[in-house]
Amino acid sequence: MLKRTLFIVMALCLLVVPTSFAQDEPEPVRIAVFTFTSGPAASYGMPGRNAAELLFEQINEEGGLGGIPVEIVFVDEGQGGEAVVTEYRRLASEGVDIMIAALSSGNCLAIAPIAEELEVLTLMWNCDTHQVFEGNEYEYVYRTNSNTIPEFVSGALYLLDQQPDVETVAIINPDYAFGRDAAEIFKATLAVINPEIEVVVELFPQLGAGDYSTEISRLSASRPDAIFSNLWGGDLNTFVSQAEARGLFEQSQMVLALGTSSAENLGDTLPEGVIVGALGNGWFLTPEVQSNPEAVAFIDAYVERYEEYPSFPAFKMTQTIQSLELAVDTAMESNGGTFPTKEEIAAALDGATIETFAGTLQMREDGDGQTDQVWGVTVASDEYDFKVMDQIIRFPADLVSAPPGEPAIEWVSTLSPDILEMIPEPVSMME
Amino acid sequence: MDLQLFTLVLLDAVSYAALVFLVAVGLSLIFGVMRVLNVAHGAFYAIGAYTTATFVIWLEGQGASPWLSFPLLLLSAVIVGLVLGPLVEFGLLRRIYEKEEILQLLVTFALFMILEDVQKLVWGVRSYFADTPLQLLGSVEVAGVFYTRYQAMLLPAVAIIVLVGLRFFLRRTLPGKILTVVTEDREMAMALGINAQRVFLLTFTLGTMLAALGGALAAPTSSVSTGIAGEMIVLSFAVAASAGLGQIEGAALTALLIGFGRSLAVYMAPELDAVVPYLIMTAILLFRPQGMFGLPQARRV
Repeated sequence: MLKRTLFIVMALCLLVVPTSFAQDEPEPVRIAVFTFTSGPAASYGMPGRNAAELLFEQINEEGGLGGIPVEIVFVDEGQGGEAVVTEYRRLASEGVDIMIAALSSGNCLAIAPIAEELEVLTLMWNCDTHQVFEGNEYEYVYRTNSNTIPEFVSGALYLLDQQPDVETVAIINPDYAFGRDAAEIFKATLAVINPEIEVVVELFPQLGAGDYSTEISRLSASRPDAIFSNLWGGDLNTFVSQAEARGLFEQSQMVLALGTSSAENLGDTLPEGVIVGALGNGWFLTPEVQSNPEAVAFIDAYVERYEEYPSFPAFKMTQTIQSLELAVDTAMESNGGTFPTKEEIAAALDGATIETFAGTLQMREDGDGQTDQVWGVTVASDEYDFKVMDQIIRFPADLVSAPPGEPAIEWVSTLSPDILEMIPEPVSMME
Repeated sequence: MDLQLFTLVLLDAVSYAALVFLVAVGLSLIFGVMRVLNVAHGAFYAIGAYTTATFVIWLEGQGASPWLSFPLLLLSAVIVGLVLGPLVEFGLLRRIYEKEEILQLLVTFALFMILEDVQKLVWGVRSYFADTPLQLLGSVEVAGVFYTRYQAMLLPAVAIIVLVGLRFFLRRTLPGKILTVVTEDREMAMALGINAQRVFLLTFTLGTMLAALGGALAAPTSSVSTGIAGEMIVLSFAVAASAGLGQIEGAALTALLIGFGRSLAVYMAPELDAVVPYLIMTAILLFRPQGMFGLPQARRV
């Protein structure tokens, strides 16, 4: 039995080996993309997957990344944290060149030290937790995306700008790094602007809970002026549908940090007047996106192929791929045109300024990224059969981001209440 | 605890318990009669939910009266029960009744995994969203908080109808009585000329239908996606085991108890809400290993 297994393994090796000797064509750049493609989180993860598929296809049609074709493999984060780490190690050992990982903050925290240990260039496309770079220095890990600090500081500012009279606030976030961090940041920001505001309830249902009936009763019974939530994916859809059926949206001003990513899924179920965010600048109906012909072409191609509009996870994926393209091009200009090593790509990413579909992504020396933060209020539209954003405020990245190296939550408490005066005026896209 | 809080906790507990009961009672019934712990039961729940969501979304597309979604809920449970029940019982379980319990457990677990993949094949991995029945019934205000009529009234009503119906069926009708006899002593029943195979087929189909009904009723209240089967089988097993496998009224009471514990946790100690059902189960089984209402098994020689 053992002999036979050995024989099969050897036979398989023989089948595989010769391909690596074939040098007629350049060996493709192998890139692994980690996202949720199953489970409740898939409704958030699929736009990321789709954007990667679409963009890498276009890149290959135009000759590839730095002239070399790209081969992508998708890894489903829905299989659980441990399996994702195992998969990461396996792909690294099989010689995958670049990892675009991951979606979940939990997975990013697990992957970052492994990426460093294995020296694999890893671009974190979505996970937001500020903990990734706090107290850690990484050579091979970059986050081509903003982090939790600007994302939730701006949310709290938007709420207080629109509803200055808020006195009581409730929070319902998923029970892991992302939800817990967001609650801390949101509370810290509120406390800076108006220390009188009272947080009456904080709930942390488990990720993928599937039912929020009891939580909604509790929220409703405590009658807060505003309810903040960074639930996402299928969880957010369920929460909104249950809360809407039970009048929670009429009772309290809802603030849904990831609201725009569920807008199309929810359709009529998402009411008007809800404060929604995009964890960055990736909302397709902003003046910046609509005035960029390449972005509009991308949106059209996306809608044609996937029969839905690209929500912000799609934009987060595009900005990561655009960062990679720019870094490869920059590195090739300075090294005389050969495909760059991972160290050369990493060096080119340090401090890079990337013009993405949705605006500017500024890479910092600590490996973290910074983008503007877009927030708005839901409104019905004649053109789309789902709610879109009105009263859009684009918070400049520098205004709401903690400087590199500074402990993030402490930085929030050093903000001055005057920050509300520095916010740009809201813009309307409805005419 | 003040009255308002108690009312809210109780209402949440009742609507939660109603769904869990429907699934747990099917599991319990199958175990009671057939002595097979059917892990695939969770998959029947999920398939019931998917089928309902598909029907309801299809109905929305047809522009027909949305009230038709209510008969569709029932219809999908019946269809899933009638198709999958006999198929699994006849095609698979019938071959393993005489085998060891551990093997039976493994076979139904394998079936659970296969059906999980079947769900992915048929419905893909996206979540389905079919809340028409929930929205149709509107909401009702209790102690200052709005509840959907669907969750606060319809779900408990269905659970009570099923409970009363099952009691009536088992105690007052001939097939029910035969079923009870087979539960009590299979060998003696067969010696008296009862066709146990037919009883098994009937029981399994009924149990499957109940699981699918649980899924069908759950579909409008939450998004239907992969993974719901696993969560439900664990939870309904906790309920059925705490009650004592085979105990129908017991399952209803334990479902309520576990629902109440979980709701109370959300108000008092939200950190604990996910583990409370299992804490309650552990506490019960520590003191009564046969379950709260289970009878100690007499060893038969």
